Amino acid sequence: MRKTEQVSWRRAMHLVVAIVVMSMVLVGVSSCKKQGANGTSSDNKLYLYNWTYYTPDEIIERFEKEYDVDVVVDNFSSNEEMFAKLMAGGGKGYDIIFPSADYTSIMINLGLVEELDHDKLPNLKYISPLVRSKATYDPDMRYSVPYNMGASGVAVNKTKAPEGYARDWSIFEDSRFAKRMSMLDDMREVMGAALKHLGYSVNTVNPEELAQAKALINDKWKPNLVKFDAEGFGKAFSRGEFWVVHGYAENVFEEFPEDKWDEIDFFLPPEGGALSIDNMVVVKGSQHSDMAHEFINFIHRPEIYAIFLDTFRYPAITNTEAGKYTKNKPFYSAEDVNDNFEVLQDLKDDLQLYNDIWQDIRYVN
Amino acid sequence: MSIKDGRRSSERRERRLGVSYAAPMGVWFTVFFIAPLVIIILYSFLKRGLYGGVEWEFSLTAYGQMFNPNFGKVLLRTIWISVVATAFCILLAIPTGYAMARSKHQTLLLFLIIIPFWTNSLIRIYAWISILSTEGFFNEILKSLGIIDEGLHLIYNHGSVILVLIYMYLPFAILPLFTTIDKFDFSLLDAARDLGATKFGAIRLVMLPNIRSGLLTAIVFTFIPIFGAYTVPLLVGGKDSTMIGNIIVDQVSKTRNWPLASAFSMILTLVSTVGVIWMMMSSRKEQAQKKNVTNQQKTEQNILDHHTTGGEA
Repeated sequence: MRKTEQVSWRRAMHLVVAIVVMSMVLVGVSSCKKQGANGTSSDNKLYLYNWTYYTPDEIIERFEKEYDVDVVVDNFSSNEEMFAKLMAGGGKGYDIIFPSADYTSIMINLGLVEELDHDKLPNLKYISPLVRSKATYDPDMRYSVPYNMGASGVAVNKTKAPEGYARDWSIFEDSRFAKRMSMLDDMREVMGAALKHLGYSVNTVNPEELAQAKALINDKWKPNLVKFDAEGFGKAFSRGEFWVVHGYAENVFEEFPEDKWDEIDFFLPPEGGALSIDNMVVVKGSQHSDMAHEFINFIHRPEIYAIFLDTFRYPAITNTEAGKYTKNKPFYSAEDVNDNFEVLQDLKDDLQLYNDIWQDIRYVN
Repeated sequence: MSIKDGRRSSERRERRLGVSYAAPMGVWFTVFFIAPLVIIILYSFLKRGLYGGVEWEFSLTAYGQMFNPNFGKVLLRTIWISVVATAFCILLAIPTGYAMARSKHQTLLLFLIIIPFWTNSLIRIYAWISILSTEGFFNEILKSLGIIDEGLHLIYNHGSVILVLIYMYLPFAILPLFTTIDKFDFSLLDAARDLGATKFGAIRLVMLPNIRSGLLTAIVFTFIPIFGAYTVPLLVGGKDSTMIGNIIVDQVSKTRNWPLASAFSMILTLVSTVGVIWMMMSSRKEQAQKKNVTNQQKTEQNILDHHTTGGEA
């Protein structure tokens, strides 16, 4: 009798433990959701969702101080990741998201972003006409404000490379650099480079032009490449393993010792290429819409925008006045971004044309 | 009679306790394994959404797209790399496990095998990159010895992928082999030698059949993760080292074709399932063989059982 009592008591204990564990799991899950989803407007917070390493801490700190607000920054590493989270309902709690041009137009078309109140954004007058002319999906900034416009380029290690290399995309045809070169593992960037080198648009859907671009990459560029790399090329470049890399300036320079930066020749090929514009959009249903407007306006205050430029050594392309306040020399100049550079557009179903070609380039020897 | 009753009720008690013990694990398993698996299966039969995600419409397009010669080549390459890497793992793990089992310093050796797991795998991959690079550790040694003048291209090819995969998964082959070899009765080897077998013959004919289950576990534990490898081919592979794992990531994060990614994940799941079933069937066969003991042993076992249970009561 005593034994059975003990048994049932123990059984009950185990049941309690099991229930506690289960409820902890459930509470954990639901509380995560709560934090993301229901920020009320009175809580003095601002939720940002930006690319990793793309929001200088100094800017956030100064904004927090000036507006007495708590800024929470979440990071994503690709537009697809950000968009998947948004569509799964995990993006509801954010106030400002920083998508690239193609995803900005997608989000505008799907009605995921709020229309901006220009009365609250006086600093929009500093946005350069060039950037606005390139932002064909929203030239009047009704829904989106450009955060940064830039392009990938080519970095050459001058101590390793022989003299007299071409300072354009044809450098990848140069067999003297064979097995010492890498291009981005990014379909639109690489296809864009080839298309521009041939004199076509980065957004073409003409099969003949695309076939020529494929032949150029597969027959002339790829034999000289070690790999298509978007992860480790900066490190390999700084080790001296890769001599010529295609990528974004900051990814190359940040890995290289600063006292040796003059050993790097970084250029944007004059034939042009894929231009990327990252934007700020206010998420539809944002609980802190006013504060979000303040933040966008704050970013484009020229002396604040200069902090952003100095952090990443970008040229002052997006904001017309910020260049007067910068301290560091940018990695490339604003003039390098010539008229040949084109913004990547959302190709909708025609993207499949690119996918098929990219498979032939990436998956087959 | 009272002993029998007590036994039955304690069995029942244990069974009931078993349920509550298993509950947290069961919940964990359902939430983080079964549910995701069901989602993957479901998504692979749906239509792709234009901007990622899926549309709720039945479609076999993803499976159709899989039969593309490009993907076929990647699949063949994945199988080839996995088979070679697994074979090397096993060939290295058998003597290692044998040496460990016969060593006096088992704990120390076991410890040494486990130590690398304390370091994040990504860091270990980057360590290999600095060893294998053209300007890396290995080439510098060869250069300082005067064997070569220019760094060899040891990295960013199939060879480096296989090498790093072997390094990453070798412990998964050593551990199960060590445990089975450790249980093996080494006097059988002496008996075989006495009966005229060569040293190698004794190992091949007597030891290998006896450590079959460990061998199988080692193969399954290495082949399955290698088959689904993603970071190793991404970081140390070259322009043509793409494996299935990389395709899955590309389809989710670049091409926005979630159903196709799910369909490829199904292949990985299928391969793992086949491996696990193979393992389970062979261990069941082994148990059946063990049950099939002689009458003599049965009697001995009965006597033993009787005494031990009597003692407990």
